[in-house]
Parts: sequence; C-alpha cells; structure tokens
Amino acid sequence: MSDMSDDNDYYSDEDMFDGTQDEDESGDEMELDNFGDDFKVPAKDKKKSYEVDYDSLSQQAVEKLMARDINHICSILGVEVDTASLLLRDQKWNKEKLIEKYMDNPTKVSVDAGATLPETGPPPPAPLRNSTSSSSQSSNRRTTRGSKMLGLGPKTKSPTSSPTISHHVPQSLKRASSKKAEDFFVCQICFNDAPNLQTLALDCDHAFCTECWGDYIVSKIKEESEHSIRCMAEGCALVAPDHFIRDTLLPAPGAPVGDVERESQNIAAWTRFQELIVRHFVGCNRNLKFCPYPSCTNTVSCPSAASKASLASTVPIVSCGARGIGPQDQEISKSQQLGFGLQGKEHRFCFGCPIESDHRPVICAVSKMWLKKCADDSETANWIKSNTKECPICQSTIEKNGGCNHMTCKKCKNEFCWVCMGPWSEHGTAWYSCNRFDEKAGVDARDAQSKSRASLERYLHYYNRWANHEQSAKLSVDLYAKTEKKMEDMQITSALTWIEVQFMKKAVEEVEKCRTTLKWTYSMAYYLAKGNEKELFEDNQRDLEKAVEDLSELLESPIEPDTIPTLRQSVTNKTVYVQKRNEIVLEDTANGFLEGRWKWNVAVDGFDDPEETVL
Amino acid sequence: MAPTGAATAVRRLMTEYKQLTAGGSPDGMFTAGPITESDFFTWEALISGPKDTPFEGGVFAAKLTFPQDYPLSPFKMKFEPPLFHPNIYADGTVCISILHTPGDDPTMYEQASERWSPVQSVEKVILSVISMLAEPNLESGANIDCCKLYRENKPEYERLVKQSIREQLGL
Repeated sequence: MSDMSDDNDYYSDEDMFDGTQDEDESGDEMELDNFGDDFKVPAKDKKKSYEVDYDSLSQQAVEKLMARDINHICSILGVEVDTASLLLRDQKWNKEKLIEKYMDNPTKVSVDAGATLPETGPPPPAPLRNSTSSSSQSSNRRTTRGSKMLGLGPKTKSPTSSPTISHHVPQSLKRASSKKAEDFFVCQICFNDAPNLQTLALDCDHAFCTECWGDYIVSKIKEESEHSIRCMAEGCALVAPDHFIRDTLLPAPGAPVGDVERESQNIAAWTRFQELIVRHFVGCNRNLKFCPYPSCTNTVSCPSAASKASLASTVPIVSCGARGIGPQDQEISKSQQLGFGLQGKEHRFCFGCPIESDHRPVICAVSKMWLKKCADDSETANWIKSNTKECPICQSTIEKNGGCNHMTCKKCKNEFCWVCMGPWSEHGTAWYSCNRFDEKAGVDARDAQSKSRASLERYLHYYNRWANHEQSAKLSVDLYAKTEKKMEDMQITSALTWIEVQFMKKAVEEVEKCRTTLKWTYSMAYYLAKGNEKELFEDNQRDLEKAVEDLSELLESPIEPDTIPTLRQSVTNKTVYVQKRNEIVLEDTANGFLEGRWKWNVAVDGFDDPEETVL
Repeated sequence: MAPTGAATAVRRLMTEYKQLTAGGSPDGMFTAGPITESDFFTWEALISGPKDTPFEGGVFAAKLTFPQDYPLSPFKMKFEPPLFHPNIYADGTVCISILHTPGDDPTMYEQASERWSPVQSVEKVILSVISMLAEPNLESGANIDCCKLYRENKPEYERLVKQSIREQLGL
C-alpha cells in the first residue's frame, strides 16, 4: 500500500513513462501477432474478400493476455499483481486511462477500485460502529465520479445509513467488533462464538468467520456473477483481491479433507470466478468477443471488425474453433468432425452483432433491420393481406366480418361493392350486375388498391422467400439423417466405400450453407435501391438459387443401384458448381461493400441517405 | 449447502431475536419476532408510525420472510394490509435499497454501499423503513400513482394516509 501513495518515482521521470507507453502500443500489435501464431486455428489458405481475419483464443490464451496487461501495470505503477488486477478491472481494462488517472491521483484511483482503504479519516477499527462514517465517505467519493452518479444526491442520505447513527449497537456486537478479538470473537454474520473460530479479514480488518466468508464469496460468484467482491461490512468499499478469494475457496495444500460437497462447490466457484474475470476482460476489449454458444469458453479476436465504421463494409463472421454444444465436443480432430452431423456444428457467429449465425452477405445493420421488420410485421402483414381490402377512395384497410357486400367506409363514407370494389351507385338495386367484369370504375378501383398493396406485397415477396430458405435450413437436420441412411444403402448396394460416398454429405453441407446465403440475400434485396447494381445482384442470386434447387432435387431423388455412378457424377459436379456460385455471390457482395457500390432504399448507418427513388 | 446454510440462518435469526427482545427498540418504535416458534423464517413486525408524519398514530403490521441462505441474501418485507406510500408496492411489498442485493440493479441506480450486506440486520432494515415512511424516495417509486400524488398534491396524499390509518384502527 505504501508503494501506491508513493508516486514520486513516476512524476520525477516523465520521459521514461512516455517511452514505456509507446513501447506498450507497439507491444500490443506484437502481441496479437504472437498469439496468432500460438493459438490460431488454421484458417483457409487464401483469404476471400468476404472473409475476415480473426483468431480464436482459448480461455488460457485470454488469461495470458490479461496477465500481460496486469504485469505491465505492475511494472509501471509499481503495485502488487492483485492490486493491478483490481485497478484494471475498475478502469475496464483500459491501460492508458488507468495510467493517466493513476498519475493524476493514485490514492483516489486505488480507493475507487476498492484496492486500498480511504486514507482520510481514522482507519476503521470495527465494522459496525464505523459503518456510518465510512459509508458517508464513500458517498462523497462516489459523487465525484461523474455522470454515473448523477441524481444520486438525495439517495446518499437515504434511510439506509441514517438510522444507524442514532441507535445503540447491542452490547455483544460492540464487544465482538473490538480490536482485541482474540480473546472473545463473535462472527457478525452467523453469531458463531466458538472459541477456536477461524476468521478472515481484508486490509480493513473487518473480521468474519472463514465459513461465512466462503458462503458469501460463493453466493456472490454463483448467484450474482460478480467478479468484484466487496468486504461484507456495511459501507466498506474494499474489494477482495484474487489471492484472498483463492485462499478462501481452495483448501490449503495438505489440509485435512473437510466437507467434500462444500469443497467441490468452492472449487467450482473458483473456476467460475476466473471465467467471470476473463469475461469481463473480453467484454471491455473491443477486439475480443466471447463465443455465444452455450458452455463454450473460447474467445475470438478480430481487430479488423472492432470499429463501428468497419461494420458498414465487412461482415465479420467468425468461428471460435470449437464444435458442438458442451465442453466434451471441443477440440476434436478433423476426422472425428466428419462423423458429426449438425451436432458437431462449428461455433459460427457474427463478431459485429448479436446474431448467432452466418448472415453473410448482408452487413449487420441491414440484417438487424430486416430481422426486426420480420419480427414486427410478418404475421400482421400476412393477416392483412388475406383478410382485408382497402377502401378505393381513402385506402383505409377494411375487414369485412359480416353483412352484405354493400360497404360504407367508416372514414370517408364512400359506398362501394366488396366484390368488384366499384362504386355502389353503379349497382343500383341489383348489385349482382357486378358480375360484369369490364366495369370501368371497378377496374380503376382495383388498380388503386393494388398500388397501395404493392409495398405490402413487395415485403411479403421477400419475406416468404426468406422464410422458405430458413425453413429449408431447419429441415436440413432431417436431410442429414436421410442422407446418412442413403449413404449406408449405397455402401451396401454398390461397390462404393465409405470414403467414396462422402460426396453426399458434402453436397448436403453445401446446400445448407448456400441456403443460409440465399436467405440473407433476400433481406439484402429488400433494402437495395433499384438500379443496375440490384439487378446484377439478383442475377447472381437467381443463379445460385437455381443451382441449389437442382442439387437439392438430386439429393432427394431415389437411389437406383444402376444409376449410382451417374448420380455421383452429377451430384459432385453440381456441388462444385453450387460452391462456386455461392462464392460469387459472397465475393461480389463483399466487394460491392468495399467499393461502396450498394445503395439502399432506407437510411442505413454508415451509408449516405437514400436518393429520392421509387421502390 | 442447504442444511448448513439453514443452520446458520436459524442461529443468526435466533440471536437477532434475542437481541431485539433484550434491548428493545429505540423509543419503542417497533417490535419484531417470529410468528410461531416452529418457523423461524417468518416474522411479524409491528411498526408505529413516526411522529410528525401522516403516519403518526398508526400501527402497521409487516411480514418478514427470510430466505434459507439468510443473511447472505436479504429478507422480504411486506406490509399486511398494504400501506399507501410511494415506495411500497400496491401489494404491500417494501421497495428499499437496503433490501436489494448489489447485483440486481442493472441500471446501477443504487449504490452498492447502501444495499444489502450480511452485516445488516432486521433492526437496521426496519429503522430504515421507518425513516423511509417519513421521507419517501420519489426517484425510484414503487407505487407510481402514489408518487404522482405525493409530488403534485401532498395535502391530499396526507389526507388519504390519515384516512386509511383511521379506517385500520376502526375509527
């Protein structure tokens, strides 16, 4: 602690400090390169324009990065490892900001982080009696913290702390909290007063029994997912350093075996604690993202997609390198992966947005907009389409839920015929005359209506195709199973070996991949502004779709022993073709983004506003 | 964990009860204790309305429900019958920062230092609730209608409170 208040070293030697900071920046680049070599999942050889550079990191690798940052801070600020960790966590792992702030006011920074006690005021000798003074200190301190604390003024003098000032503390509490706790100690949490009670305390000397500390830390970690665990004493802002948590949770080596269940729970909590810190580190670092798949602990580093601006031109689809759900499936060999169907699916996700799947070729902003529109509008739009018509004059949407065909619009009082949409006046008393198809007024009315419906129809056109591909992709689980069955049959009925029938599996995988691409091309097409570019895009889309449908049909076709060689030939051909078409769509779209070729018909972040064009 | 945790909770609750009955509350502002001796996890507290507030003269009953892992988690407090107060929900549940764990406030509105911690106690919470009765916190209201009334028409709010107290006392 004395190290920290002693900031002379740093002020006296500013040059040295600057030098180190520069070194640190260059070090950052270096370190990415370094761990790239160590932990990189071997990617494809040549990079396509629709792919991004990324690295997959295991939890250990991230811990190494963290340790590097912590050591760096240790050496610059001359503090203990645990203190450096607390300081960094408090400053959201921003080294530069921490160093700057620390140089400015080391005491404040480390008190804010809960690494040291506030130096003003008497050191708190007892948890209860001192609680009010320390809590008011902490509130003063916190109000200076800026925007986060705005509006908290009245709350700081809220009922929580005020009553304790005026009321006596029961006798036993006073005695227990006295400094001479050795002769008679009562834990303030569980009121255990056993003479051989083991106690623990942070630097603030708020002692509680070991068991309560353990329970408290476990509940904080397990129930609240907290990595910053404060002293239990009221108003005490000291945070338990890592070694304290480790020592409390993990039994000392050679210690007698206690309650087995409790110990395994403590060990689980310690593991979780480390994971929480890693998550915090990853969450604070724009270059890193945690794999969103359940129980996967890998992290992906993708510096090229860290800025918001880059998301307007790239679709950072990454994969964390693990497969399947659950830890047991991770780190399997390539040959084992072939044995998996969808269960062994790669953990593929978008680095730039929360969509947990491949949404290439569409950029994040547009796919988000599309998904939102689908979620908001689709069912409503479908219902409107199938159940309503519009008033030929004012275009109000009208549902006919009974009665005759003589409609009177509630809004504009227009009277019309529900069947032909023409004015009712032409029907006279005999509305059946609307069986005359060529009625001029009716045709006009229907035209007007169809125009107003065009945007709805347009949306449904794209949505239905989008949903269709999504549905097909979902059904691909069945297709996998079916194909596996076929592959077995083939091995029995023909001379083909297991290796030789893999072409079927390859084809199914390719179809699934392409359907994902196709699905998203519809959301892209919906938002693309009219023009040559869009037409070219839709040509590519059409070619891919046609190829995919052809291949799908081949895969579904029944297997005749005689035709297997031909089938194999054509499936293999088609697969390669489909693959090519898919690459063309992805590559062309990605290049379009890089060249700024795409124009939208709505406002999209990072693009110019749409020109005045008709949809 | 459950059996040892519950044992801790019972020991702690018994000690707190003992201290409350032995020391008594300051100025006799409240009493609290288990409803039956067979269940130490449900208490009843009787709180007298603080002086110079619309609640003066009333006696309010509240049910305290303790979790099995008390004191690691806070207990719940519910006025039965409900009180008309900005920080008390319509069903009588009290909303006060001291009864919230530091984790369950994603907006970080409440400071960790004024939240539940295992060294808080029934006594301290009830004293906080009493001062809350006197000074509602309008910034995080539980009963929005009441908040609005308090802010816009305080005399009417006080009248309503007094009237409900009289009704409760059967006057």
